Amino acid sequence: MTRWAMVIDLDKCVACQGCSIACRFENNTPVVKPNEALKGRAIRWNDVFPFPTNPLEADPGEYPETKQRYLTRPCMHCDNPPCIKVCPVQATFRDDEGLVRQNYARCIGCRFCTVACPYGVRYFNWAAPEWEGSLAEHLNPDRIEGPGDLEGPAVRPKGVVEKCTFCIQRLHKARARAEAEGREFRADEYVPACVQTCTGKARYFGDLDDPESTVTLLAKSPRAFRLLEDVGTHPKVIYLREG
Amino acid sequence: MAYPLNRRQFLQISAAAAGTAAALGGLQAALRSAPAAASTGTLAPTGEERIVPSACLLCPSGCGLLGRVVNGRLVKLEGNPMHPINQGALCPKGQAAPELLYNPDRLTGPLRRVGERGSDQWEPITWDEAVQMVAQKLTEIRAAGHPERVAFLYGETRGQMRPLIERFMQAIGSPNAISHDSLNIEAAKLAVYYTQGVYDLPVYDIENTNYILCFGANILEAGRNPQRTVIGQSYMRRGRAERGKIVMIDPRQGITGAKADEWIPIKPGTDVALALGIANVIIRSGLVDSDFIHNYSFGFEDFTDSQGKKHKGFKNFVLENYNPSQVEQITGVSATTISRLAGEFAGQAPRAIAMLPGKGGLLNGSITGLYAAMAVHILNALIGNLDQPGGVLTQRYFPCAEWPPLPADPIAEQGRAAERLDGAGTRFPLGRHAYQAVADRILEGAPVEAMFLYDANPVYETPGGLRFADALQKVPFIVSFSTFMDETALYADLVLPEPTFLERWQDDAIEGLGYPGVALRQPMVEPLHDTMPTGDFLLKVAQAMGDPIAPAFPWDSFEALLKDRLQTIGTDWDTLKELGAWFIPGYRFARRGSQKWVAEVVGRDRQSAPRDGRFDFYSRELLCRLDGLDKEKLQALGISTSGDAVFMPHYEDIPYAGDETEYPFVLNVITLMSLGPYSVAANMPTLQEISGMTVGETWDSWLEMNPDSALELGLRDGDPVWVESPFGLVRTKVRYVPGLRPDVVNLPHNQGHTAVGRWARNRGVNGMILLSPASEPATGLASFTNTRVKVYRA
Repeated sequence: MTRWAMVIDLDKCVACQGCSIACRFENNTPVVKPNEALKGRAIRWNDVFPFPTNPLEADPGEYPETKQRYLTRPCMHCDNPPCIKVCPVQATFRDDEGLVRQNYARCIGCRFCTVACPYGVRYFNWAAPEWEGSLAEHLNPDRIEGPGDLEGPAVRPKGVVEKCTFCIQRLHKARARAEAEGREFRADEYVPACVQTCTGKARYFGDLDDPESTVTLLAKSPRAFRLLEDVGTHPKVIYLREG
Repeated sequence: MAYPLNRRQFLQISAAAAGTAAALGGLQAALRSAPAAASTGTLAPTGEERIVPSACLLCPSGCGLLGRVVNGRLVKLEGNPMHPINQGALCPKGQAAPELLYNPDRLTGPLRRVGERGSDQWEPITWDEAVQMVAQKLTEIRAAGHPERVAFLYGETRGQMRPLIERFMQAIGSPNAISHDSLNIEAAKLAVYYTQGVYDLPVYDIENTNYILCFGANILEAGRNPQRTVIGQSYMRRGRAERGKIVMIDPRQGITGAKADEWIPIKPGTDVALALGIANVIIRSGLVDSDFIHNYSFGFEDFTDSQGKKHKGFKNFVLENYNPSQVEQITGVSATTISRLAGEFAGQAPRAIAMLPGKGGLLNGSITGLYAAMAVHILNALIGNLDQPGGVLTQRYFPCAEWPPLPADPIAEQGRAAERLDGAGTRFPLGRHAYQAVADRILEGAPVEAMFLYDANPVYETPGGLRFADALQKVPFIVSFSTFMDETALYADLVLPEPTFLERWQDDAIEGLGYPGVALRQPMVEPLHDTMPTGDFLLKVAQAMGDPIAPAFPWDSFEALLKDRLQTIGTDWDTLKELGAWFIPGYRFARRGSQKWVAEVVGRDRQSAPRDGRFDFYSRELLCRLDGLDKEKLQALGISTSGDAVFMPHYEDIPYAGDETEYPFVLNVITLMSLGPYSVAANMPTLQEISGMTVGETWDSWLEMNPDSALELGLRDGDPVWVESPFGLVRTKVRYVPGLRPDVVNLPHNQGHTAVGRWARNRGVNGMILLSPASEPATGLASFTNTRVKVYRA
């Protein structure tokens, strides 16, 4: 079985936010109004921010021995995701390949999952998404169709929760391409948009069940760690620490 | 597709569940997986898809792009893996570029002013009318015998567009093709010119180096070529067996300093002293490359000239004046640190780099800026890393087909010989461009009959830019080619919008790797509006003007010009179009003293000094320009010393605007990765949203301040403040930034627009209005880091 995972080397990450914006244009996350953004309601499935986020917890050190760290944070696609357990309508689920996905058509917007997620990577649409004037022209037209289903980059309505899908439509497309060419699909034929665009080449993507894959090898690095490992979520996004 | 859970798998799960002891739990699990199975859809067809290669133009990196075009609409950009600068990567600006293309505030066609200047009242005209009006105006000006009264201001323009502008102006008969280089990269270019004799930015072999001293080079956030440096540092740090060390020398830590191994918060404007202090230790310790010093350089040792006059060389000058304890007094960097840095740097020779910023603190209103850049570049020469792996390379370019000769034209010849409007080369004897000084010259009364603005928004982007608004009132005919109604276009008579870089043909030189390369922009989609590429427009004007201008431009479109000029690069047009980039990888090093060395690496562009392949520690080019000036004249240029010191880098006090007791902080206007340097980016909502990531701000400006300094003033994080300089006053909020010298404050660039569009306008503040409008007297560079401010609660 394939188990999709991402490795992010924080030593190579330069906090450029390319990942955030590649994600936006691949997945049609809306720009929210400035006053909404100020309230922390911006929707960027992969956000980049100074770490720790709470300045009271931060210990930047005494000038000039200061140290500032930054974190880039997609959905961890946990093997044991708390968000799924609290969803009253089973709108969110973990699929066969370990992706934690969201069925927008089922979501009732209760936001239990946004609270349950210890990583804060579930985003609620407080307003109907808007693209002023001709800006809507650039929306990614990819659409995943299924019975009563709405997923992938199709524009989400007000009142649902949305999240990183590891660019599931890119996976679909890569599989379709392999099928059209009459060959087996290989795990290295697909990466999410954030991995593709990374300016520091800090991101790796692949199959954690493949003992030879880059992500499996990097996950064994002495620098490897996962966010909030102690809460038992078993994240499949693995970080390599700086230094 | 394999993964939808089919009925058979579902039954298997159910059966397995029933078979276990924990039957109930198993059944729940099976039920839970049921909606998952139903939710796995298939991908709907989208329509006709194409992938079109191009190159970005939202910062000077010029990254290669691949555009995904579906049914004629650009829906996604990705980095072109074929392009050697970004190798498939793309920063947030490039990713957000569809917001530029589909921006609702773009100009939709050519406009003529009908109201007062700046009143924003226009009527639409046709492109034919626009061509006729411009051609007629230029013909009139030429007929009156003063073609030098035409000025063409342009921005970061590479590829064939830059020589086309210069050529067009030559044909008209004006020396006034004025680039905005004096706002950023000119200091570094001049420094390389006055030492190495190459008028270009140095190229750094980051991938193969072990050690980088970043003198204000903010390689991970901004600068001339941020994508190239980001990818290079990634490789240097983690892509190879041995991890290189980076030392960031800048008053602000920033992301580069945070990621570096060491951050040295140097006193602003004193980089020259630190570099010379390091040189002092290297020389004293005998760590110089003596083969290079003695055989391929000039002026290291004391020497006697042809008239028998004795001169002091660089070695003794530095040994006498810049020992580490003296330098500690100037820079605030401890003597121990200076000695250690020198040892670390020279110990890695030649795989060590002293890196110049594109801008950084070099534009400090004093000739110290030029001297600092020279001193930093000289460190490279001391350890002999020029044209060595892991050292400093020289950018090479493809040869292009020749331009058709300019027809004999006495009017143009007379005009070309006139003094430049910006005073570069005359009033500013060491400079090549003095973009921001154009306003001052016009206000002093220099006659300008017509002005063109291409990728130029001086009212916004120059220190004290509002004086441009006054200056422009004195110019009877102004043409802006801006895609948006920016602050400067508002004062134009004709606004002739150029399509965005995603809709036009343009080439770009691939710079930053040393070897020659060309990238090609091509229309990804049909132009959205009634726009015309400026290259096409200039060619049409030339044709409309007839003899003797037209024969110099025998192309009917800019695309045809590109095809013609680029036929010599070693590939055909269709291949270039298909790949988006063409280059010959593998830098070819020149052996010291070889023909190639003399022709390409050292001395290539010297105008007065000998092209003898010798690197100048004692600048002979400066000697040719400044020799014989008396003390008074030198002082007018900001040089307080005399004699041999003039021709060697040395520290001069920075002439700060604002008294230190009244204005305690040095203002630093910083460029960030998010909004970048170009005005148009401020009108891209996505970039506005992410603009303040480092401090948790969004859609706004902020003032970065060391928490201790802020607390002394009773300011808490986020408090509203006034920032006042002798030139202006702005209101913003203070944000604590611990990685910052207590006597420096930072204001991010590219907010506070009064025009451009709905998202840029009336948001945040423009730091340029606080800065000193003075130009540096010797080089004509703008002043960016020599203004002091005071900060108080609003």
